[in-house]
Amino acid sequence: MSLIDEVRPAPPGEPKHAPPPRGRYWWYRFDTKTVPYLLIAPFFLLFAVFGLFPIIFNAVVSLRNWRIDEPDDRSWAGFENFSRLMTDEDFWNALGNTFGIFVLSTIPQLLIALMVANLLNRKLRATTWWRVGILLPYVTPVAASTLVFAMFFARDYGLANWFLSLVGFGEEEPIDWRATKWSSWIAIATMVNWKWIGYNALLYLSAMQSIPKDVYEAAAVDGAGPWKQLWRITVPMIQPVILFTVVLSTIGGLQLFNEPMLFDQNPASASGGSDGQFQTIAQLIYKVGWKDLNLGYAAAMSWALFLIILIVAGVNALATRRLGGDK
Amino acid sequence: MVNRAPQETRGNWKTYTALAAFMVISAFPVYWMFVIATSTDEKVMGFPPTVIPGDQLLVNLGEVFGMQDVYFTASLINSVIVAGVVTASTLFFCSLAGFAFAKLRFKYRNALMVVVILTLTVPNQLGVVALYILMARLDWNGSLLAVIAPGLVTAFGVFYMRQFIGHAIPDELIEAARIDGALTLRIYWTVVVPAIRPALAVLGLLTFVATWNDFQWPLITLGGTDFPTSMVALSDLASGNYVIYRRVLAGAFAATVPLVILLLIGGRQIVRGIMEGALK
Amino acid sequence: MGRSVRRAAAAGLVAALALTGCSGQSLEGGNDEASDGQITLKINFWGDMGLDKLKTQYEAEHTNVKIVLNSGEYNAQHEDLQKKLVAGSGAPDISAVDEGFIVQFRSQADQFVNLLDKGASSYESKYLPWKWQASQSADGKQIGLGTDVGGLAMCYRTDLFKAAGLPTERDEVSKLWPTWDAFLETGKKYTAATKKKFVDSGTNLFNPVLAQQPVGFYDPQEALQMEGGPKVAFDVSMKAIEAGISANLASFQPNWDQGFKKDQFAALACPAWMLGHIQDTAPDQKGKWDIASIPGGGGNWGGSWWTIPKQGKNVDEAYKFVEWLVQPAQQIEVFKTVGNLPSQPELYNDPAVLDYKKEFFTNAPTGQIFAATAENLKPQYLGKKNGPTRVAVENVITRVQEGGLKPEAAWAEAVKEAEKASKA
Repeated sequence: MSLIDEVRPAPPGEPKHAPPPRGRYWWYRFDTKTVPYLLIAPFFLLFAVFGLFPIIFNAVVSLRNWRIDEPDDRSWAGFENFSRLMTDEDFWNALGNTFGIFVLSTIPQLLIALMVANLLNRKLRATTWWRVGILLPYVTPVAASTLVFAMFFARDYGLANWFLSLVGFGEEEPIDWRATKWSSWIAIATMVNWKWIGYNALLYLSAMQSIPKDVYEAAAVDGAGPWKQLWRITVPMIQPVILFTVVLSTIGGLQLFNEPMLFDQNPASASGGSDGQFQTIAQLIYKVGWKDLNLGYAAAMSWALFLIILIVAGVNALATRRLGGDK
Repeated sequence: MVNRAPQETRGNWKTYTALAAFMVISAFPVYWMFVIATSTDEKVMGFPPTVIPGDQLLVNLGEVFGMQDVYFTASLINSVIVAGVVTASTLFFCSLAGFAFAKLRFKYRNALMVVVILTLTVPNQLGVVALYILMARLDWNGSLLAVIAPGLVTAFGVFYMRQFIGHAIPDELIEAARIDGALTLRIYWTVVVPAIRPALAVLGLLTFVATWNDFQWPLITLGGTDFPTSMVALSDLASGNYVIYRRVLAGAFAATVPLVILLLIGGRQIVRGIMEGALK
Repeated sequence: MGRSVRRAAAAGLVAALALTGCSGQSLEGGNDEASDGQITLKINFWGDMGLDKLKTQYEAEHTNVKIVLNSGEYNAQHEDLQKKLVAGSGAPDISAVDEGFIVQFRSQADQFVNLLDKGASSYESKYLPWKWQASQSADGKQIGLGTDVGGLAMCYRTDLFKAAGLPTERDEVSKLWPTWDAFLETGKKYTAATKKKFVDSGTNLFNPVLAQQPVGFYDPQEALQMEGGPKVAFDVSMKAIEAGISANLASFQPNWDQGFKKDQFAALACPAWMLGHIQDTAPDQKGKWDIASIPGGGGNWGGSWWTIPKQGKNVDEAYKFVEWLVQPAQQIEVFKTVGNLPSQPELYNDPAVLDYKKEFFTNAPTGQIFAATAENLKPQYLGKKNGPTRVAVENVITRVQEGGLKPEAAWAEAVKEAEKASKA
């Protein structure tokens, strides 16, 4: 189930062919010695060119002056792009936003997914129907759903403010969701949560179903209600999957782009609000690279983002293990 | 009462109510998209906001598809081409490689597989800047090739296929074919492909959905051209000087429908794919 | 065993490769010349420049030419043009460039077709001198032919004014506000009487007031001059926001368009080109708008040029079309459909302009109103970074409107952001 599966031992021994007819031996040799490489070659070639090379080349770009509008200057910049990052207010602002939205989206997302999975982990009628149903947000294009949410969270005539006004909140002064950090973060986190809860619930569900029944039966928890059962037995048992989803959400959440981009009143601006109140790093990379035309600096930002993802994913993985009181 | 495993417990009315509530919330934005897509301007700006579909769907869709500067019709075709080619190629190349990793013996096999697994975790965004420069060199920016090429194979596809082939096809079957004198490619075609059809369906659906919904890279390379994918066209629709919500959401609806149909047809496979540990 | 599957897979793969091959050829951006001599001209602009009818007419007269109108968002179109010029490909055949960005592009004149080479010099005498000069590079290349100028006026809703007990007749309304302070006072009266907001947004006060100043963001030496004109304009917008008479809608965004339809404001500074936006956005408000004079005197806000990027494959055909567009008949047609005032003064005395009354705006004589402001104009120098600088300051105003920034602190912030934009 987990990603880094054991690299399995080699299956069959040396392939046993029918005794090769004479003169065609080289052909069989070719088939057993070379063909395997030919089978994996397309993957590695395409991956090397369009996957690996850009990542390596990105490092080169980040160390150079590389502006789209100055095609004749590709001189070395040393670590200038990186040192500029340290004092760039926009970068730190975007970093803060990215983390804020990340926290607001990941934690509820995984908790609610856990609850939903727990509900699905019963004997239910129309099991498949429920499972397919909760995937609707997953298949809905982010671009499409974000545009819906952008309307939902409008200041005037938005559905969110209307709901709030029903409970007597903000009737006089409707919330301008895009205006402040906290409100725009909540709006964006809502979109992220909406999209990924069902997906994560299915991951949890599959793990829950592989828990042997006798684990529950043998549990010496007196009169354990479903709630206790969930936290005492189920969660510790599916901890590897939780770890997996935490890492996945970290990788995805820290690269958040589509939602803040299209939530903007003017999506073409990539500014994340009038004061960058919800501009994420990925969005800033796009702006710096393709609106300010400074690819060298954008490349340096990409590296910074990568390092941050590595660190955060590592810390989260460790923390999740600790919380689970792991081996 | 003895402690019973949850999966042995029958769902009661609370379970169903909670699940139904969750479903309604999940479906609401898509439903509301449909409502706006079928409404008039007055309805859209009514207060309290409208939650009942109108009868303007065709009018609104007609406007979206008629907008010359958004290239919406072309964008849907482009999305079909891109997602289709990427899916076909991913299935073919990843099943080939997965087969080799699962069932063939060759030098450095394990080391190469570790490379595949490691690349699974690298965020694709890291290479976006350099990818753009690469595409500029190839003169592919602004063409569908720029969007298709990076998607042709995925490490996840190889990983998934290797797992599936490893479990689904007994070694003896391959041995038997070899003794009959079949060459490797023939075994792939006659033994492996038929046996992994379910996995191909799963991987194909997941790849199609992910490719269709991809936004950032297509925006970078296709933004401002006459050949957007439907996601890029949607963002154009939402950022002109005349943004009309019912039109924007009619476009969003048109770009969502193919995927909802896909979910209805292939939902079972998608669920299975995810439960077997698919990546986002 | 799955023969059909196999065949389908093989067919799919072949189709896939064929498609990739095809798309490589025919989908590679830009102008595709089909074999039958058909030429496609792509035109980038923003908003509504009144081209829909003209396009059909031109295509009917020139059967080998197909015209693609590509209207986008104002800032995005200019940024996109800049990007495509640098990339060396992908630019449209014809691109509109606004006043706010013309200096930036004329300083890259070698990227554009020098229209003088195509015989445009005969038009020099027809244009307002400043309009002709503004699109000329330092070494005398002409990158664009002028479309319109943005003389200033104030549009207002007669029905809403009436409900607030204000006069509705355009001369009386003009007398309400000889100065911007008087205008703000009127706004306060309106808001007090109706509990509704008076103007759409602080940015749409900032821009016209700035346009009235002798010096804008930059002096002709390209030095940022925030304490002059920008300060005056900024103060007006802050006063309006503090007085609570602004609906605080971000202009040219969806909510602003909604604001029109929902009567969220009653007055809007309107250069001639704004008329098209108003009637396109709220078609059912026909007869409910009128046009008075603007407080604070004449000025020019906006107005564009048609330019032809050099990288295009059909620059000759593009020039033919542009030349056709700037002929009097077409200029008058545009003026009548969307309101854009031509930049050729001869037309101001043409009865078709002079006597024209715009039905949508309660039969206001838009020709007379706007021509008067255009002819007496002392043009302002707009720097190379004028576009981004304006966006930066507008963002600061928006922050104040959103409540994220105190008006007192706003000016310092505006100066800071403007300086940042001027150096970016």
